[in-house]
Amino acid sequence: MKAYKKEVQFTIWMTAAFILVGNVGLIFSIFPVDGMLFGFPVMYIVPILMGWFGVFFLTIVAGKIGNRIDDEIDSENDALGVSDEAKDV
Amino acid sequence: MEAQNWQLSNPILGLAVVGATFVLFYIVGFLSNRKSASAKDLYIGGGNVGAFTNGLAMAATYMSLATFLGITALILQLQVPFIMLWIQLILAIPLITIIYGTSLRRMGAFSPTHFIRDRYGVTASIIAALFMILVSIMYALGQMIGIAITFETLLGIPYLTGLFVFGIIIVGYITIGGMAGATNNAAIQMVIIALMFILPLGAIMKAVGATGWYFPPLFYSDMVPAMLESLPTFFDYQFSPKWYFSIIPALTIGALGLPHLAMRVYTASNLKSARSAMVWFAFILGLVFSATYAMGFVGVYATATQGLVISDGDADKLTIILNLVYNPEWVTALVIAGAISAGLSTLSGNLLAIGALISQDIIATLKPNIPQRLSLRIGFVAIFAGGLVSILLAIEPPAFLVVSILWAFGLAGVTNAPLIIVGVWWKEANKFGAIAASVVGGAIYIIVSPFVFPSIVLTGHGVTDGMGLSGAMLAVPVSFILLIVVSYITNRMPGLQNKLTKQSDIELIERIHGWKDIKSYRYNSTIGAGVTVVVSAAVAIWALMPWGM
Repeated sequence: MKAYKKEVQFTIWMTAAFILVGNVGLIFSIFPVDGMLFGFPVMYIVPILMGWFGVFFLTIVAGKIGNRIDDEIDSENDALGVSDEAKDV
Repeated sequence: MEAQNWQLSNPILGLAVVGATFVLFYIVGFLSNRKSASAKDLYIGGGNVGAFTNGLAMAATYMSLATFLGITALILQLQVPFIMLWIQLILAIPLITIIYGTSLRRMGAFSPTHFIRDRYGVTASIIAALFMILVSIMYALGQMIGIAITFETLLGIPYLTGLFVFGIIIVGYITIGGMAGATNNAAIQMVIIALMFILPLGAIMKAVGATGWYFPPLFYSDMVPAMLESLPTFFDYQFSPKWYFSIIPALTIGALGLPHLAMRVYTASNLKSARSAMVWFAFILGLVFSATYAMGFVGVYATATQGLVISDGDADKLTIILNLVYNPEWVTALVIAGAISAGLSTLSGNLLAIGALISQDIIATLKPNIPQRLSLRIGFVAIFAGGLVSILLAIEPPAFLVVSILWAFGLAGVTNAPLIIVGVWWKEANKFGAIAASVVGGAIYIIVSPFVFPSIVLTGHGVTDGMGLSGAMLAVPVSFILLIVVSYITNRMPGLQNKLTKQSDIELIERIHGWKDIKSYRYNSTIGAGVTVVVSAAVAIWALMPWGM
């Protein structure tokens, strides 16, 4: 039950985080911001930086958590005592 | 500077560079192909490709010729809104990987349709496969046109000659190489694309006086004041939040249904490798995407402040024109090789997807007992035939290259993505829901597109309707609603019970998530399905309300 819940919650929150980080332009279209950052308008450079480094950071997090959830599913499977050959077609 | 005929004065130089890259790709393809003994080898490279190579290949498959030809043109036309639209395309592989890629990799699927066949049965999978073939051909068509235009405008080769000669050379290489060749080549192509795009961009920036030329993707802020002075509207968002929201159903969800991207996840040697590949993909794609925005920016800057004149018809060639103006000819020849590499890697992904769809998802589904050798041979024929069809369609090219590629994203988002996403995460989804979603959603999307009935459109804003933004905002949620509601109802109709395969569906879902036992509480949330229906209904109604454009 634990690993299943984690898998579902991870997928929902991670998907939401990815969509948010990749669509910062949508947020700025609702809440416009004035000002400059690194010499660019904030509403120009922040979506670009988030769309690169933000997404890159999330892929690292998603990779690590995904691998860990796989291990937890495996250990819950092992706890069942089901042999690999029995159902792993 | 006056508008002029942009062309290399020494076409031999361009041909020599392009020829040399082709020889390299043929050799890599030939060496890789010697290992292609089965259909599995052909389509997913034996399921044994390393993370870095695969990450590069994913990025190359995604970076189409549009990077060199189309995007910068649309930045010239739409300015910042198009950059905002393009940014989220980087989400494709990460979202495919976390939402369903690893599950389908665990299942051993060749293509998303393979999953749809096992999950929803033959009829639904053939409908999905037909839509996916249409998506892949639309996509491949864009690459073919781009390749022919590149040769036509830069080397002086007539459009039709370039289309047939180079089209057939490229299709031949893909047919010979298979996915192993394509993956190794795509990785090499990504390096070529990145170098041939970013280094010349640095030189162009230096020529126009930018001090940040040593890192073109991000260091061009010193050009901002001059840009704001001569073109104050460049950074304006122009459109309402609704326009920016519509990008999510059309392109973010759309990319989840693209068969040639999902297939890249299945080439990974294992799940951990697939996840590492996603990290490399995000880093490299972010780098090249940012450089693309910089190229668009420099193009607009050069036309606004440096007196560079680019006619509307030449907008697609912005990248090449900037190189012709500011760099020596041999650099432009290398850029052309980069552009052709970009087209080639995407095209090979598209054609392999078509090959897998026809031979595995349609013919092998209808005739499951044909021998492996014959199946492999049909695959080769299908890849070649798919290439020929896209060449023939490109004889009369549609007006907008990138616009038609982006429209194909929406079609994938309507007809395939809901079937895969809901199919992986909800046991109740069944074939009746899948068929209803795919057929009705697909029909709505096609009807409201400006290509079939130009008078039936949602916004009346040409590019927005043409790219499928408005159509997908209506049709994608409708597709989700139909899949969930029709499945829920038909699962409770006693007369249909013998036509459903509930037990095998349940076993399949548990297995692809990695479970070795079956629990009724898993992947069975009625609340989750209900929330999806309510949210989808709200989005669909919003799409039907006036867009004010």
